[in-house]
Amino acid sequence: MEVPIQTADIFKILSKGQFINSNSSSKTVSDLYKIIEDEQNFENLYDYFRSINFTLEKGDEYFYFSRPENKVDLETKIEAAFRWIDIIDFLKTYDNSFGSGTRFYPYEILNRTKTDAELETKLEGLKKHTDKEKHQDIIDKILKKLIDDTFIELENEITHQYKVLDSFKYLEQLILTINIPDDVRNEIPE
Amino acid sequence: MNTFSNIKELVSALNREQKLLTEMFKKRKSTSYKYEYALDLVDNDDNRIQYLLNRSVIRQNGNNLEIDDEFLQFFELVLDANEEINTSYINDNLEKVKQNIDYYFNEPNEQRKYEYLRTIKNTLRKIGTITLRNVVDLKRNIDNTFKNEPTYKNKRAKLIHLDNKRKDITKLIAQTEKLITEGDVTFFNTATDEELSRVIVQLKIQLGKCTHNLIEIERQIIDFLNQIQYQSGVIEKLRLVKYLKDQFILETTTDIKSILGANDSVIFEPNPAYPLKLSLEYLQADEEAFASILKIAKRVKAGINLKRPVAEKISSEYLQTQTEEEIQINLEEVKNGFVASSYNLFDFIINYNFVKEVSFEDRVTIYCQLISQYENIFEITDKFEEKREIEFAMVYPK
Repeated sequence: MEVPIQTADIFKILSKGQFINSNSSSKTVSDLYKIIEDEQNFENLYDYFRSINFTLEKGDEYFYFSRPENKVDLETKIEAAFRWIDIIDFLKTYDNSFGSGTRFYPYEILNRTKTDAELETKLEGLKKHTDKEKHQDIIDKILKKLIDDTFIELENEITHQYKVLDSFKYLEQLILTINIPDDVRNEIPE
Repeated sequence: MNTFSNIKELVSALNREQKLLTEMFKKRKSTSYKYEYALDLVDNDDNRIQYLLNRSVIRQNGNNLEIDDEFLQFFELVLDANEEINTSYINDNLEKVKQNIDYYFNEPNEQRKYEYLRTIKNTLRKIGTITLRNVVDLKRNIDNTFKNEPTYKNKRAKLIHLDNKRKDITKLIAQTEKLITEGDVTFFNTATDEELSRVIVQLKIQLGKCTHNLIEIERQIIDFLNQIQYQSGVIEKLRLVKYLKDQFILETTTDIKSILGANDSVIFEPNPAYPLKLSLEYLQADEEAFASILKIAKRVKAGINLKRPVAEKISSEYLQTQTEEEIQINLEEVKNGFVASSYNLFDFIINYNFVKEVSFEDRVTIYCQLISQYENIFEITDKFEEKREIEFAMVYPK
């Protein structure tokens, strides 16, 4: 089985729980995406990683790893999911169309909180995930978390422009897959 | 209300106030253009503004001025800046062509017939241009709406509206094509005019281009609408999930547990560390590894003092210096003295005045040592003598 020479680089990123995104502005990462995207490469890599117990998963314009005998307990997962829900809710309140490909500046979000009480309340709600008091610090902290998980990236260090990566759809998908029974749904006020 | 009496008057009026009109046209999107601003641009001559107002080029609304709708539309249309996509133009023109064809057939007078033909050609040319411009406008408007419209529901509504426009244009193109290919075959066959056929070819090319563009636009609208649909779906769901989460009933009312339970993504795992031991061969052979080892060794030395086993105290007795003197007999000196004398060796040594007390036995030893060492320069004779019960050979210097 012939695997591409970049296999080690691919493993290094994916095994950390990070994503390889098609729209990453890092040339290295987007090149890796193109390599995995190739059908033959994908099959080979899939088998290769399968043999060391990782499953190479294909999302909409992104790749990631999963593994069957995941040791993480449900509690931790729920905690992570809750954190994501709060963060996405905050970002979507800031911009309804916030999603893959969106570019934004942290100071714009911060400025909006001054005039948008709902946004400010939600930002306050993020305190519990960041252990920070100042609004600026909370935003910085959540952005850092999102960067660490490769959902966004700092595209321009000088202007401080961030870009949302394709892996953001993973979070959206996760939320979409949650089933809310109709009777519960009916009880939720508009 | 006055009107312009001829084109010349109109054009010169527009030319005179070009500064003001340009400025107002640029700001046509904002609702108010203050009267005072306008005054600045006409050299504070109130009459000039009144002149335009009288001829309905601009309109006054309280303290604000705006370009009259008729002129505004004209400017936008000519400058390709219009936002409204007006399919009625095409429709009107289409009707006009049909009517003129009728007139053409009814008219016996050749001169007038020609007039109608000219109108038809003009109108057909216009249809091509207007349709193409409409398509371009449509495309731009769709892009703008998708990117700039902040309100979700409006964005969707506007896109659907634009999609309807697209359908209208498509329909009109089909009608136009039908008209020039099948509709009045008699007319297009009888009215053999070179310019007419050129106009028709041109129109067909333009319409073809429009059709292609419209297909692309349709694809884009569908894509945009899907994106909006997806986004609003996500937002809707997110709102519900967030609500349940904030009520602390998300876990109990939904299947989030089983979903997360089945989700094995590595992203949920804490960052793994792979504490692998370095290869010994690498550590031993690699220059860089060696440099690292030195660096670390230095750091380790600075931090931790290794405890070495301490030996017992050395007793002071051992440390005291003891001198021992021993007087050595210089055999060379004795030999030199002997060579210079006339004694035999044994007597010479017995009588030699050594620096220290030397016993008889020792003197005998010295005798033997000298003989064995300087055998070559001594003459050892065969004569023997005896002294104190020792028999010795008589030895002389050579």
